[in-house]
Amino acid sequence: MLISRQSYSYEMLRSELTWVVGDDNVQTDCSEKLAHSIDYYWVPEVWHDRGLKPQTPTFIVHPGSAEEVAEILKIANTHKIPVTPWGGGSGSQGGALPMYGGICLDTKRLNKVLEIDPVSLTVTAEAGIIMQHLEWEVQKAGFSTMHFPASIACATLGGFIAHRGTGVLSTRYGKIEDMIMSMEVVTPTGEIINTLPVPRHASGPDLAQVFLGSEGTLGVVTKATMKIHPLPAVRKFHAYLFSDLHSGMVAGEKLMARRLAPSVIRLYDHASTISIIKRVLGIERKGAYLVFGFDGEEDIVDLQMKKAVAICEETAVEDLGTEGGQTWWDQRYKFYYPPYTFQMPQAFGTLDTVATFANIENVYWSMKDAVKEHCPEANYIGHFSHWYDWGCMLYARFIIEKPPQDAAVAVALYNRIWDAAIRAAIKNGGVINEHHGVGLKLGRIMRDLYGPAFNVLEGIKKTLDPNNIMNPGKMGFQGV
Amino acid sequence: MNMEKYLDVINACRFCFMCRHLATLAAATGKEADTPRGHALIADRIRMDKAELSNPDYIRSIYQAELSGACRKHCVSSYNEVGLMLALRQDIVEAGLAPAAVSELAKEFMDVQFKVSGDGDMLYYPHPCIETHQPEIAKAFLSVVPNVKVIEGGDCGKVLQILGFVKESQAVAVRFQAAVKASGCKTIVVSNPAAYDFLKTDGAIDGITVLHSSEVLLKAQLGSAAKLGKLTFINSDFLRNYQDCHAPKELLAKLGCEVEGFGANCEDSYACGEGSMPGIRLFPELTRKMVAHVVGIAKRFQVEAIVTPSPFTKHALMTYAPELKVLAIEEVAAAAKL
Repeated sequence: MLISRQSYSYEMLRSELTWVVGDDNVQTDCSEKLAHSIDYYWVPEVWHDRGLKPQTPTFIVHPGSAEEVAEILKIANTHKIPVTPWGGGSGSQGGALPMYGGICLDTKRLNKVLEIDPVSLTVTAEAGIIMQHLEWEVQKAGFSTMHFPASIACATLGGFIAHRGTGVLSTRYGKIEDMIMSMEVVTPTGEIINTLPVPRHASGPDLAQVFLGSEGTLGVVTKATMKIHPLPAVRKFHAYLFSDLHSGMVAGEKLMARRLAPSVIRLYDHASTISIIKRVLGIERKGAYLVFGFDGEEDIVDLQMKKAVAICEETAVEDLGTEGGQTWWDQRYKFYYPPYTFQMPQAFGTLDTVATFANIENVYWSMKDAVKEHCPEANYIGHFSHWYDWGCMLYARFIIEKPPQDAAVAVALYNRIWDAAIRAAIKNGGVINEHHGVGLKLGRIMRDLYGPAFNVLEGIKKTLDPNNIMNPGKMGFQGV
Repeated sequence: MNMEKYLDVINACRFCFMCRHLATLAAATGKEADTPRGHALIADRIRMDKAELSNPDYIRSIYQAELSGACRKHCVSSYNEVGLMLALRQDIVEAGLAPAAVSELAKEFMDVQFKVSGDGDMLYYPHPCIETHQPEIAKAFLSVVPNVKVIEGGDCGKVLQILGFVKESQAVAVRFQAAVKASGCKTIVVSNPAAYDFLKTDGAIDGITVLHSSEVLLKAQLGSAAKLGKLTFINSDFLRNYQDCHAPKELLAKLGCEVEGFGANCEDSYACGEGSMPGIRLFPELTRKMVAHVVGIAKRFQVEAIVTPSPFTKHALMTYAPELKVLAIEEVAAAAKL
């Protein structure tokens, strides 16, 4: 339901929302609407760049408690108004875009660290806290969440939960779904519920997993308890150059198969090595750049490192040493700052996916072929950045230096590349996404990915959100 | 338009989120429009359609920006988001679009005259803050460094510059410069970091060395201030983020104080809007929110006493959180006087 500013509904709703959160916390001004109409998805960016105006929310509401969230959702249900949760707004999939107007529920007032438990090693915080602030507070107490994504400075704890986010040390410490102990969630109809206090149990299905990755379509996460870790005594890195992607991949697979428990492995393809590794790290080489690291007690780390080095020495063409690895760690976020990151006038997309070791290289090459087939002028680069016992994540990207000036033509080309590349990934054992989510961008492919199982997801959605108010039109669910 | 000098900033910041955790006002309000990304999007709209410069919502956001400089300092490319906002304010003023409250406030700072008194080789400029004199700061400084001339009269042009009245700011600066030169002193010492920044940049005076009071106090013969107990340090945005001046921390170390940084990190600004000092008059509710944010952190970390080189920050904290114990750095130095 789109609400005209000059309507009885508008004033009535504003009064109701103001009653719940206070006048200061209901915004309708142009500045806030503009800032909430664009996230980190390329499509609203190109619209803005070309002078078009993306859909804005009617109201931006900042609740200060789970109870206020519940009241807002009850109001939205009464009037059947769409509600789009907004954490940091830094999602790349359009998940936070208010595509039908309505209420943008900005969670950033929910920003308190509630408890650090030094015995169980957990921290409980409100979900609107920016991850860097949470990490700083935990570090001040002598611990770390070990969650270090590139978006640490801008994304909220709730945002990571909503999109199954991950950080650079995921290979040892896991993705956010591995880090979360429990959550408080406000359901679309306004009930405040809690998942079980521990993540390992045999007390029925894990309700937490329903909400992890639900992208604001099944409720609003308002609080979470996550694991924390002692600050490691040491953190060491090492880098090697391999002649090609395959030999680097084999080395990475061996590091995982030997269960050496690295905290991080990253393998950059040749195209990435000669471009972004050179530009950001100043390491000018041809081939495939591989970096890995370990953290913890020094004697253990040294032993792990010794064994990892021995594996790489077998096939690497050059030892870039600890310096070549430490530089990567020190500069790990620099890749995402302008002018080092991709930005207008370029068109770009991160085609991240994940597959088993048996499939991942096929996924890489099939996506590359798909991109080249649909847009020969596009550059395709990739790195493999989150490694598991069974496979790894591919962070592939396409970049078009001069996309069409007409926004509609540019977006059509952009979507065509996405369709082709992601479907190629699925065909070869990949999935839609690994840690950025589905959002608006990839919802249309969800049914293809899940097949009949998507009916189960739709059933959950309809049960929890009978009026379809929560982030409609996202993740492949029905729009308004 | 003046903002067009900052097209690189607009292009870089409009879709960038990488400094949002340090957006000081946004941390207190939760508003996206209070971040450098929000500011750059507004600027970009104005770039594309000049008529948008008169949009009252945009004007309000532009004047509400707290200009802490924390995001610029954090940015790996140092994009000057502060410069962009000041340029936009200048554009608003030059287009005759300044809100009445802004224009009225600016008038208060236009008709200032300066006078010099006392004797000494150095000139001390104690004007500490936007609206109130804080005599305890000058008194503390002069108790340690008594043999100086003193220049008084009002703000030397910084407030007008912040408000976007650049020509008027320069006119005041010229009068200030004349008074400084007439004093015969070659060094001017300031307690107000805003004035320090101005006199180091747009208000620089040929042949005159500018020092912050802490730089002078560092060279004074002082004992220990350890008796003051545990102090928590809130830095000045102008000193840290604009001028990279570390003298206050060095001074506290020299005085043997038990000092801890405020909050959980050394990048956030806790100066309560020092970078845009007139904001305390134009948008007191926002200053109150920034102070409330600081108070929340102070309670969480059980802060006993705060020391700051920013008279503005002290003023803001004492205005909206009088329960806090806040000392100016000059007062800490005076406590260590032999």
